[in-house]
Amino acid sequence: MERNVCLIAGGMSEWGVREASLRDMFQEAGKACFEDNPAVTNKDVDGLIVASAYTERCSFQTHLAPLVAEYLGIKPKSICARVELLCASGSSGIILAYGLIKAGIADVVMVAGGEKLYMPQKWEVFYSELASVDHDWDGAQGLGLPPPAFAMVAKQHMKLYGTTEEQLALVSVKNRRNGLNNPRGHFRQPIDLQTAMTARPIVPPLKLYDCCPVTDGCAAVILACEEKAKDLTDRPLVYIRGTGQATLNNMSANMPNWTTWEALKVAAQKAYADAGVKPGDIDVAQTHDCFTISEIIEYEDLGFCEKGEGGLFIQEGKSDFGGQVPVNTDGGLLSCGHPFGGTGIRQAIEIMKQLQGRAVRQVEGARIGLTHNLSGFIAAHTVIIYGRDKD
Amino acid sequence: MIGVPILEGKYAATMDLYPQQSKEFNRIYPFYEHLKQGRFTTTKCRACGRKSFPPRVVCPNCLSEDLEWVDLPTRGKVLVFTEEVTGVPLGFESPLIHALVDLQGEMKLFVRIVNCQAGELKEGDEVKLAVFPVAPVPQEGRGGVVMQERVYYAFEPVK
Repeated sequence: MERNVCLIAGGMSEWGVREASLRDMFQEAGKACFEDNPAVTNKDVDGLIVASAYTERCSFQTHLAPLVAEYLGIKPKSICARVELLCASGSSGIILAYGLIKAGIADVVMVAGGEKLYMPQKWEVFYSELASVDHDWDGAQGLGLPPPAFAMVAKQHMKLYGTTEEQLALVSVKNRRNGLNNPRGHFRQPIDLQTAMTARPIVPPLKLYDCCPVTDGCAAVILACEEKAKDLTDRPLVYIRGTGQATLNNMSANMPNWTTWEALKVAAQKAYADAGVKPGDIDVAQTHDCFTISEIIEYEDLGFCEKGEGGLFIQEGKSDFGGQVPVNTDGGLLSCGHPFGGTGIRQAIEIMKQLQGRAVRQVEGARIGLTHNLSGFIAAHTVIIYGRDKD
Repeated sequence: MIGVPILEGKYAATMDLYPQQSKEFNRIYPFYEHLKQGRFTTTKCRACGRKSFPPRVVCPNCLSEDLEWVDLPTRGKVLVFTEEVTGVPLGFESPLIHALVDLQGEMKLFVRIVNCQAGELKEGDEVKLAVFPVAPVPQEGRGGVVMQERVYYAFEPVK
């Protein structure tokens, strides 16, 4: 029989430019996760999924899950493995843990993810990024991770729909303001519109504050079957209601559409159908704002607004507190930073806290939350829907 | 002492920007042989007719292995482009110019533009295939180490 699955704890290491190794930060995140809910201990966890994309390139370390288990005093017996989908590695771990628990293969699973990206010499992270797109075909063209690709997306979206640089900047102003809500995030200083608009260009039209930073950090959550969850937390239960993960292409030449992310629509439709909800039912969302233009397109392709109206959606405050659906309430990638494997887990922590009514800045009465990641060359999309109610 | 002394004089494929192109390491090596002749090619399935890019050894549509090499256009038009200023990866100069090129309706290729100054490129400009040599690979074999010559491609403005 299929079981219900709940999120019962979550915590993060400090995120930023860290004077720490990958294993240091996995320990910090694991400890923070257990401290978040003292009713669950490392002895209660029967499975561990670790999400990390650059562990092999930046830490010369494979077989990472048993290492993390050893450091956190976890003795897994149902699952102990690493999962990788670059920027969506963390959310992929959550989907897999959900499936295992739902099927009765595991009961209580920690999903821990994160990256150590800063190296003794800075060139190495940009160079390693050439491995994250199709290395032989896009990497060799000098396409590392995102800025150039997203600059092209922004240019085309502006041309097609009249989206403006000011609308892009408004996303970073909102998310930097929301970033004050995450004490573990990379950036904790607000910026104003003028600062965002006059910042130095990275890849035009994207300027400094349109881009998320390179960040070190880890995060961890614990998922449990409903029966165990009832014993392991006094807080309101937060259920996973639906999931979707879709890809339609990997190499840039095969991208079906640059300004409408078809794979996001596929993943979202699957997650909405699983959960039995509509875009209008989402009370709070954490979407993948690796660049400001991404968040604008995500409003559209998640169905929060009509196609082409993402720019207006931010301009009219519809994604801010008090608006139609507050987005990136903990600051998103633009404030918290983006240690790839950690990001989906950070998003899950914020949604869990929002639905339990204990977020730093609370969306009043939030009962349904959504997380979204894109990964690679906008090549895969992952959507998870959480609810205070099981259906 | 700088770097890792035990790696001095060693070639680390894990740090190589460019793909392995020799027939010992890549079944689509004809693509690179064709590049050396100034041809831009890919594979087409003889069973179902599907043309794929990048080249394959199995058709992603019908899974046939009966594929043939066909030529792609070597000229196209710039649809949209951007000049990357910051965070340019090692091995490339700033500004690094990327363009989405319409390859005569065959496909939209996101490609690097070389032999072009910053501020020079315009939307609608015609560009053509530019093949250039990249660092050879010292490849170990029975007869000792052989330097495998390599090339790669970008596009450049038609002047």
